[in-house]
Amino acid sequence: MSSKQMFALNNISKSYGEMKALSSLSLIVEKGEMIAIIGPSGAGKTTLLNILANIIKPDAGEMTVDSKPLTCYKTPKLFAHKVGIIRQQFDLIGQLPVIQNVLAGRLKDWGLLKSLISLILPQDKVQAVKALERVGLSDKVYERTANLSGGEQQRVALARLLVQKPEAVLADEPVASLDPARAEDVLFMLTKLAKEENQTLIACLHSVEYARKYFKRIIALKAGQVYFDLPAEELKDELLASLYSLGDES
Amino acid sequence: MKKRNYLTLFLTLIFLMSFASVGWSKNLFHSGGSSTMLQILKSLLNPNLSPELLKLAFESSWITVAYAAAGISLALIIAFVLGIPASGVLTESTFGKWMSFTVFRGILGFMRSIHELVWAWLFVAAIGLSPYAAIFALAIAYGGALGKIFAELLQTVPQEPIKALRSAGASKLQILIYGYLPQALSNMVSYSMYRFECAIRSSAIMSFVGLGGLGYQIQLSLTELRYNEVWTFLFFLIVIVSAVDLWSSLLRKKMAEAAASRLSFVKLSTVALAAIAAASWMFIYIAEAASLLDIFNAKNLEHTKDFLSGLLGIGQAEPAFFSLESWKNAIRLAAETLHISIIAIGLSAAGMLLTVIPAARNAAEGTLTLKRKWYNWPLYLFTSGLYIISRSVPELVWAMIIVYILKPGILPGAIALALHNFGILGKLCAEVVEDLDLRPVRNLASSGASSGQILVYGVIPAVMPKLLSYILYRWEVIIRTTIVVGFVGAGGLGQQFKLSMSWFHYTDVTLILICYLLLVALVDLFSEGCRRIIQ
Repeated sequence: MSSKQMFALNNISKSYGEMKALSSLSLIVEKGEMIAIIGPSGAGKTTLLNILANIIKPDAGEMTVDSKPLTCYKTPKLFAHKVGIIRQQFDLIGQLPVIQNVLAGRLKDWGLLKSLISLILPQDKVQAVKALERVGLSDKVYERTANLSGGEQQRVALARLLVQKPEAVLADEPVASLDPARAEDVLFMLTKLAKEENQTLIACLHSVEYARKYFKRIIALKAGQVYFDLPAEELKDELLASLYSLGDES
Repeated sequence: MKKRNYLTLFLTLIFLMSFASVGWSKNLFHSGGSSTMLQILKSLLNPNLSPELLKLAFESSWITVAYAAAGISLALIIAFVLGIPASGVLTESTFGKWMSFTVFRGILGFMRSIHELVWAWLFVAAIGLSPYAAIFALAIAYGGALGKIFAELLQTVPQEPIKALRSAGASKLQILIYGYLPQALSNMVSYSMYRFECAIRSSAIMSFVGLGGLGYQIQLSLTELRYNEVWTFLFFLIVIVSAVDLWSSLLRKKMAEAAASRLSFVKLSTVALAAIAAASWMFIYIAEAASLLDIFNAKNLEHTKDFLSGLLGIGQAEPAFFSLESWKNAIRLAAETLHISIIAIGLSAAGMLLTVIPAARNAAEGTLTLKRKWYNWPLYLFTSGLYIISRSVPELVWAMIIVYILKPGILPGAIALALHNFGILGKLCAEVVEDLDLRPVRNLASSGASSGQILVYGVIPAVMPKLLSYILYRWEVIIRTTIVVGFVGAGGLGQQFKLSMSWFHYTDVTLILICYLLLVALVDLFSEGCRRIIQ
């Protein structure tokens, strides 16, 4: 087992009552990979991401993160050093200023007292401001987060990830509620930052077009199984058509 | 839908039966009661505004506000300390959740089940006449109410940001201060402001256990039959309560606004509120010379011990709560209390239903029924003014006035409660009408419906479920207050409580409190069940 593996999944299954979300799924993700997960609604994309994020437990199968089983990550704080998550734009506390939402990425390293003080006197401010500069929001440091546009809020979430500095980033439909121009902007930034930070990036996307444009490896899920797993440039239109076809679902 | 109609019919029938069983006769009035009423109403037009009286009114207003502010600041601490664990957001294990839901909820429920005036009386009996009796009483009753709401607000916060914080590695307490509290804060602030307004009214009636303030002056002027002074003090109370009400609605609006100006107003209000609280504590400590440590002396400890063992019936031959006869009597009084509360809620609901439409701003503007009449605005101002006056005056003060007109019994208490709750229900329900989705109304209008038809087909069905649940909710509050109007001779458990307290029959007091708590719990359960049917 090489230590270059970020995630390794072996025969993972998960069902919700009668519904099988994932059935015997196996997957290896190397460090530094840029992966897009696509597939029709209900194919198990979100379930897979939540399992990778250690939010839900699979019913069966094994998984390692950075070549260690999950039992090695005893606290959420330890796991947060390995894996960070970005979702649709509802991840932020709208009532807090932008800088506090960015600094939430530091909570894993802070004690309670420091966290309390930081609400009044932001701690590690330089780091947060730098992160906001990198996402182009240096003029919004003390703005109330709810006042920002959807695209700007997603960039705040990216700045939080920059401060959190996980080894892998999981993105669950990060641009689902944005208009095309802003969606491209956020995806461009997400992939660029991941490259610069040498992070592994796995994103669930609705749009095949974005997946092709911004990612190197594309994994398609259908009915809880890997339908195909290809480099982005080898993706054929016929394959996509059958991925999204309604006929042979079962 | 059908179920709800049956329920409405059932509740209306209960009210009508209760109302019919009052024992109507001319005997209800004092001899000369009606002329007293006329005198009181006449003096409304010429309140005493002499400089000496105004000075006195200002002083007693400050005492009332100071007790309220001190009480509410203590209540906020209690609410956070108990409300956060009661919300269950800090625990994950089943046992922890069970603990938070039963133990902390239980404590909060117990604290708010007993009316603040009853608490105050118990404190006076235990530690003597001190401002702290009023402050602790307010802190406990309001701490219970605030804590319960805080717990609910924390539970209903949007969960996505919380999950995000968790996956960023934040601990439970960090999630609390970065996720739960910021998201719930603005609702917590507006509810606390509303409670501050209530606390001012409650503080005014602390006179009843012998403490100063506006209520004390009202009581004094009433006994000396100087009704024009009564109105002066009442106007002061109305102005203070309306000012706090206005402040809180402004604060709520500014907090919801995204504009940059909100910060300055919100900050200014925060500073002002903190200043009021600090000034109140200073005033109580220095001007009233009431040291907090002084009340914890050996003598008071002895008193408290005596009082508590009296309540528990220690060393008594026949504690009331072991006597079947006493239980029978207490249950009869509990039934009477229930009777009062039903008449009270029925009357205030009827009053509200008759006035709520003209009291809604959108009716005045003509957007509700799409007809504008010249009388809309005057009617709106009149009804909403009526609401303000009726809800600014606490039920106990209404009762004090009414017992000068009506003979003691069920009716004066019920009317006093109805008068106060009429204004509260009216305001709440007018807001429901104002928030109504107007599209169906426009639709009706475009198919040719008249104003009356629009009301019957468009407005009333749409607002009725909400109105009904407000009525039930107010009934839960009324049952808690019914004991209080009993103090001035309005019958029920309250009257017996007062008698037993003054005769030092402490085991009777315990029995009455047990029945009171059972009654409150029963009404809560029934009302919750009804509200579930409505939704």
